[in-house]
Amino acid sequence: MKLYSAILRTGIAVGVVLPLAVIFLRWDGAVRPRPPGDDPWRRVELAVFEGGYGIAWHQKTAAEYTAAHAEERAIVNVWGEPRMAEKVKPRILRGDPPSLIMDNRLPLWLMISTGKLLPFDGALDRPAYGSDVPWRDLFLPGTLDTYTSGGKVYAIPTSFGAWACWYDARQFREHGWSVPRTWYEFETLCRQIDAAGIAPIAYQGKYPYYAWFTYISLLQRCGGLALINRINAMEPGAFSDPVALKAAGMLQDLARRYFQRGSLAMSHTESQLQFVNNKAAMIFCGVWLENEQRDTIRPGFELCCFNVPAVEGGKGNPRLFNGLGTEYVFMPTEGRNPDVAADFTRYMVSLEKGPDMGASIGVISPLRGGCPPSAVSPALQSVLHMLDASMVDGTPGIFNVRLAELLLEWQQQVMIPSLAGLLHGTLTPEEFARRLDNGIAHARADPDIIIPEFKPYDPQAFGEPL
Amino acid sequence: MLSLLKSAILYAVLLVWLLAVVMPLLWVFAGSLRSSREFVEDPFGIPWLITGSPYADNPDVDTPWESVVADFRKAWVKSKFSRFFFNSVLVTTLSLVGIISISSMASYVLAKFTFPGSKLVLLYFVSGLMVPAQLVLIPLFFQFTTLSRWGTALLAPFGYEVELHDTFTGLITIYIALSLPFTILVLTGFFKSLPSELREAGIMDGCGEYGVFRHIMLPLSKPGLVTAAIFNFLGIWNEYLFALVFMNSDSHKTLPLGLAAVSIQAQYRTDFGLMFAGLVIVLVPTLLVYIVLQKQLTRGITVGALKG
Amino acid sequence: MKRTWEQTCFIAVFLAPALLLFTVFVAIPGARALLYSLQKWDGLSEPKWVGFSNFVALFRDDLFRIALGHNLFLTVTAGSATILLALFFAAVLHRRVRGSAVFRVAFFFPNVIASVAVALLWLLLYSTTDFGVLNGFLAWMKETVGWPAVSLPIPFTGKPYLVYSVVPMLVWTATGFYMVLFLAAMEGIPESFYEVAELEGVSPFGQFWHITLPLIREVVVVGVVFLVIGSLKLFEAVWIMDNEWPSKETHVMATLLYQKVFSEYNVGYGSAVAVLMFVLVFVATLATLRFSRREALEY
Repeated sequence: MKLYSAILRTGIAVGVVLPLAVIFLRWDGAVRPRPPGDDPWRRVELAVFEGGYGIAWHQKTAAEYTAAHAEERAIVNVWGEPRMAEKVKPRILRGDPPSLIMDNRLPLWLMISTGKLLPFDGALDRPAYGSDVPWRDLFLPGTLDTYTSGGKVYAIPTSFGAWACWYDARQFREHGWSVPRTWYEFETLCRQIDAAGIAPIAYQGKYPYYAWFTYISLLQRCGGLALINRINAMEPGAFSDPVALKAAGMLQDLARRYFQRGSLAMSHTESQLQFVNNKAAMIFCGVWLENEQRDTIRPGFELCCFNVPAVEGGKGNPRLFNGLGTEYVFMPTEGRNPDVAADFTRYMVSLEKGPDMGASIGVISPLRGGCPPSAVSPALQSVLHMLDASMVDGTPGIFNVRLAELLLEWQQQVMIPSLAGLLHGTLTPEEFARRLDNGIAHARADPDIIIPEFKPYDPQAFGEPL
Repeated sequence: MLSLLKSAILYAVLLVWLLAVVMPLLWVFAGSLRSSREFVEDPFGIPWLITGSPYADNPDVDTPWESVVADFRKAWVKSKFSRFFFNSVLVTTLSLVGIISISSMASYVLAKFTFPGSKLVLLYFVSGLMVPAQLVLIPLFFQFTTLSRWGTALLAPFGYEVELHDTFTGLITIYIALSLPFTILVLTGFFKSLPSELREAGIMDGCGEYGVFRHIMLPLSKPGLVTAAIFNFLGIWNEYLFALVFMNSDSHKTLPLGLAAVSIQAQYRTDFGLMFAGLVIVLVPTLLVYIVLQKQLTRGITVGALKG
Repeated sequence: MKRTWEQTCFIAVFLAPALLLFTVFVAIPGARALLYSLQKWDGLSEPKWVGFSNFVALFRDDLFRIALGHNLFLTVTAGSATILLALFFAAVLHRRVRGSAVFRVAFFFPNVIASVAVALLWLLLYSTTDFGVLNGFLAWMKETVGWPAVSLPIPFTGKPYLVYSVVPMLVWTATGFYMVLFLAAMEGIPESFYEVAELEGVSPFGQFWHITLPLIREVVVVGVVFLVIGSLKLFEAVWIMDNEWPSKETHVMATLLYQKVFSEYNVGYGSAVAVLMFVLVFVATLATLRFSRREALEY
């Protein structure tokens, strides 16, 4: 009898709890209907790192593409998130990635070496949208090389990034300051600014990475493209070259004397806020500065940029500049409908969409002539001007050091801390260079790291002595 | 005279610490009343909301009241704090229900019955106390993939699939499992302290084993259950690492995760108003719950800590 | 005692859910972590067995040594400050200061705030921008008193200083908890002990030293172990304060583990860090059981 009632009670409990549990599991999506194997729609999910650019333009472009390709039943959905990498990395690890990802904080080279990314070459060999030139041939020099391995291109830049020094032309005018052309003039200007009670240079100290690009520019100004080639080739001791040491010393000196006080603890937006409020007169930053600060730039602020000044006695052609592809998109192997994904990328990065992108989100297309000056703000016009001025025989004078993207661990564990040490003054330029060199040697010795072939720049073609 | 001086010093020290605890919180509340513009132009003054804005005659600039309301609305609606809040309540409630029912059952058996290996089972559970959550974090991540695959294989004939990643089910299961060692330890202690004669008397009266548990033992162990519940409540309500790893989509974020995400977002957009509004939205309920429950809370912590 | 079939069923049914959950979601993953730590695996391709080379790499790696060093530094500094302050406040409040209820309630409060919110709050307090309170206060001091004579603002959360700036935050948060813990233990001491001491003219400090402290010794030991375990597992404070992007100068073990696995896909290395954390926590827990053997034997 007792046993009977116990069974009855258990039965009732199970009868109540089980349906509730099933309803919850179903609502939660832990148990859900299997998607039918033959989905008539060819869906593509594009996950965008939501930084300063937002995702509205990408969504609009996806909607256009979807409307235009209704017959092929292609659908492109876009979502964004400032912490994309944190959200997408687990999905890659569990084999359920989006079809297209735009965020280079993922270990792309690891994914390339383990076969987790698909190449874009099929699409690159087709003509670009609105043109009969192969898509591949339209890209600005070097922008496709960052993620090229074994002759295949695994990531497509959606915009062109240039590093420069930004200032407020109005503030300069009011104080009678002028844009410096040489390092000597630059330092003189910093002293003038300091004397006027304004911090000369704002700095994104929480992310020492920002200073890396200033350092790269100084390396080229001092040692020319020949030095950049040696560094890209991962030559032992390249960073400890006396000329490279000089560049590191110049950067350290600049930080010590002219970086805004307290900037070492400022995040990018905090320091940029100091800059747009005219509390600091200049800042080294990428082209997205205007976009990131568009809500805080006050009327009358004339955002302009100038190229890193020439170094007296340096070998480098001072008209060249540090430029690279940014906002790369790539296709995980396990993503759905890679053919649609690649074709959509071809549409998004096209001569047709370039001006629209420039006007809507304030970025420069990575394609040659992809961004007419009339389409963009004065700030971006000053970047395009820098691009025009760099032309040598019709080729844009762009250089870049690929190590940061190639050696993610080196970047994280060696480059960024060493750079922080250099700028905080806790490392001498020699120690800084030794750490970078040792880190490179360590990475070269690691059999798991693939190091793709490297096309050296031709210094002579860019008017530099050998 | 001397003792007066001494107690004055003691009070001074206590008051300094009181200020150190209270001032930052007051500062956050004051900060949430400022507009983003104010943070740059007048960060330490009395909020413009009270003193009046220097831009009062400029129609292009929002009034202080408008910008404060806008900040909170942005946090609650656009940054989805309402959703995070709901998620946190859901996850915490269901986890607590699961933890308390499962642990109390196991603890009761372990405290009041001896059977071959009963000591060993208790030791098995309690040894879990020495496992830091980080140790199981990584394998759990991959195990979820495996379990989801098995589940899908099982349910595929019925047209269903199973996914534990990025679901409340997955996170709640983890929270329940991870809190078992501590909860079982505390509750076993409580059940042991209840006289065994009660059970025998209950059986005599024809309650049955379940009846004794449900109607005699459980009500008597309420202080222990409350202690365990409070401890687990604090842990789960504020948990960050597992939620960070297992909850990827916006609609599944819990409050700590949402706050961290919004703070990053606010930094990209240089939106301090949003950041302070988010902080206040997280702090206010905590403060209210604390004021209501602080007696039980401190007592529970004490009992729990002394037992554990 | 003979068990009926009903009892056997009852035991099985009541134990099964807990056993199942614990085994599947704690015990098995724990064992697998040990296996992972012996593998080289990126989470994407096939794992390779590599013996103890992850651990060898770990100890050769500055990164891990620095992270472990940070954990130990925080344990020693924040830990001792917390225990001393908590003992002091508990002793003061125990001797019935007026308004002790208010102090107790207020001091404990930081403990219930989500650690993410605490870190964010302190990040804002430390800010070097215009609204950073701490720098604002120092600037005001410098202007009025002429002290401290340092260049302001101080980059408290700059990478080289971050680990020091975490200390006050941890003390701020934890002191209330340990105060309540110690206070509860002190309330268990019979009042007559103090009355006798009072009659014999023992000073309040003497009473604390000779009566209170010895009698709550075990609870203090428990507190110390709690603190050690807590500081070994520290994650949110550093993670949030370094904008979710910690690096060599700021890593603690837990952030290193997270970054190795979920950013760099180095599952073996991350698991090795986890296993070492486990070993350290294990040692700390054994120490508690040793020190407070009497309580431990009850169970």
